[in-house]
Amino acid sequence: MATVQVSEAEKVYILHGIRDDLRVDGRGCEDYRHMEVETDVVSNTDGSAKVTLGHTAVLVGIKAEIGKPRPLIPNEGYLEFFVDCSANATPEFEGRGGEELGTELSNILYKVFNNEHSLDLRSLCISPGEHCWVLYVDVLLLQCDGNLYDAISIAIKAALFNTKIPRVHISSDDEGGKEIELSDDPYDCMRVNVSCIVTLCKIGHRHVVDATLQEKACSVASLIISVTHKGVITCTRKVGRGSLDPESICEMTEAGRRVGKALHSPLIKLLQQEESLGKKRQKVGFLG
Amino acid sequence: MPTDNKRVRGPEVSQSPSLFCSRPAGVLSSPGPRADGRQRDQVDVRPVFVRCGLVSQAKGSAYIEAGNTKVLCCVYGPRETERKDETDMKSGRLTTDMRFAPFSCPERGSWIQGSQEKDFSLMLQESLQPAVCLHRYPRSQVEVNVVVLENSGSVLAHAVTCASMALADAGIEMYDLVLGCSLRQDGGSFVVDPTYPEENSRRPSGGGGEKRGGLTVAFLPSLNQVSGLQSDGEMAEETLTAGIRTCIEGCYKLYPVIQQALIKAVRRAAPPPAES
Repeated sequence: MATVQVSEAEKVYILHGIRDDLRVDGRGCEDYRHMEVETDVVSNTDGSAKVTLGHTAVLVGIKAEIGKPRPLIPNEGYLEFFVDCSANATPEFEGRGGEELGTELSNILYKVFNNEHSLDLRSLCISPGEHCWVLYVDVLLLQCDGNLYDAISIAIKAALFNTKIPRVHISSDDEGGKEIELSDDPYDCMRVNVSCIVTLCKIGHRHVVDATLQEKACSVASLIISVTHKGVITCTRKVGRGSLDPESICEMTEAGRRVGKALHSPLIKLLQQEESLGKKRQKVGFLG
Repeated sequence: MPTDNKRVRGPEVSQSPSLFCSRPAGVLSSPGPRADGRQRDQVDVRPVFVRCGLVSQAKGSAYIEAGNTKVLCCVYGPRETERKDETDMKSGRLTTDMRFAPFSCPERGSWIQGSQEKDFSLMLQESLQPAVCLHRYPRSQVEVNVVVLENSGSVLAHAVTCASMALADAGIEMYDLVLGCSLRQDGGSFVVDPTYPEENSRRPSGGGGEKRGGLTVAFLPSLNQVSGLQSDGEMAEETLTAGIRTCIEGCYKLYPVIQQALIKAVRRAAPPPAES
């Protein structure tokens, strides 16, 4: 992750502020920065979304293709994640520099979305053992200012909400082979609530949500929690070079679950509102 | 953009014969006694066999066997780093590499992709880093290489234990040993130190069971700190915290065995002076 150098005096200042529930930019310990979500920004994809969280900007494009299901699980489709840390974000990511971070992010995404409750993979199956929908989720990091996991998960959630997968008919022709026909009207297949990731950084004795790069430099370890809209925890992971006390893990899990659960409903409402605007919506795109 | 070499899904030429035989449906997901006679809902870890100092060329090495899971770890270092940037001036660097032998899993190398191995290596590094006194080895690098010879469940937990024993055998200064323990939550009951079939049992279709997942914890016993935590599947928050406590208990159970093995290794290497 792009790092900033923080002096000792500044670290002490940040620590003391967080102890009193006041962060450098005036937020409380469990507040997010200003967030902007826009869907359907890239027309060549089946679903896309762009999320700006403070200065972190993430663009997700989803393309649905018809492929062969995995041999062990013949009646389900699957998702493929790929995170690209573009050199636009920081010069550290030039060439292969961003590959390590990208692999780490994609591995966590596989774990988060890899269970039956977050996404009904059986609905992606076309004919068992032969054809299924494969959703290629490609994440592009445009700007990096801390808290990548949260921004990426919100963007994936918005993009999946926006994804339209056409209905498919399988018919067998004369020789016994299968023919695939796509119907012409758009068909909304994805209306599921996928989980959101919340990152909690342990700074001093307290934890903060949505840490900036300076706050990250003061923390010893962070806990990544992915929470569904019902408050069920699907994936947790400790990242960072330090260690955590078991009691703080319990506190952080409880806080993460609370924050994650509270994040879902306003987001879904916003996405539904955006979709209902339809053609009248003013597109902000990348210039706003 | 870097070239995409992670998504090549060519046609599979050869397949394992186990795909073609009829699978016994959900035999292990039914709550019943465990296949190897251990208890459910209790901290019942498999008995481990550990030995240090098996690889003579490495600075330190350790081998752990728990049930059928066999993990070998070698430590090289402290060696001089090739890259000298500013952070290296103050503290050392710990690199970890965890690999699976292709014959280690029931399916030949097919379900472990390269990125999963990298994920395990990263988890291993995050679990070991808090325990090693890297500030005592500035401008140096310590390499930890773990090879899984046979994967029969909870491989990451045993790899963490094995790696910290190898670091101790190599004489690298550490604050404490790191022990790993894993758990599998299955509906209302849990099993500690799951075997491979227990870890990978598929959910019976349509079955309830909101709480179904796995958890791996890396723990420093004498400091009471958790250095690594990974969970997947789905769990309610209370289940997760209870699971963490159970894994911590499992680590405490393992601690005396590991200590004894290290003491034996030290005695073998430098026998105490005979009474004159």
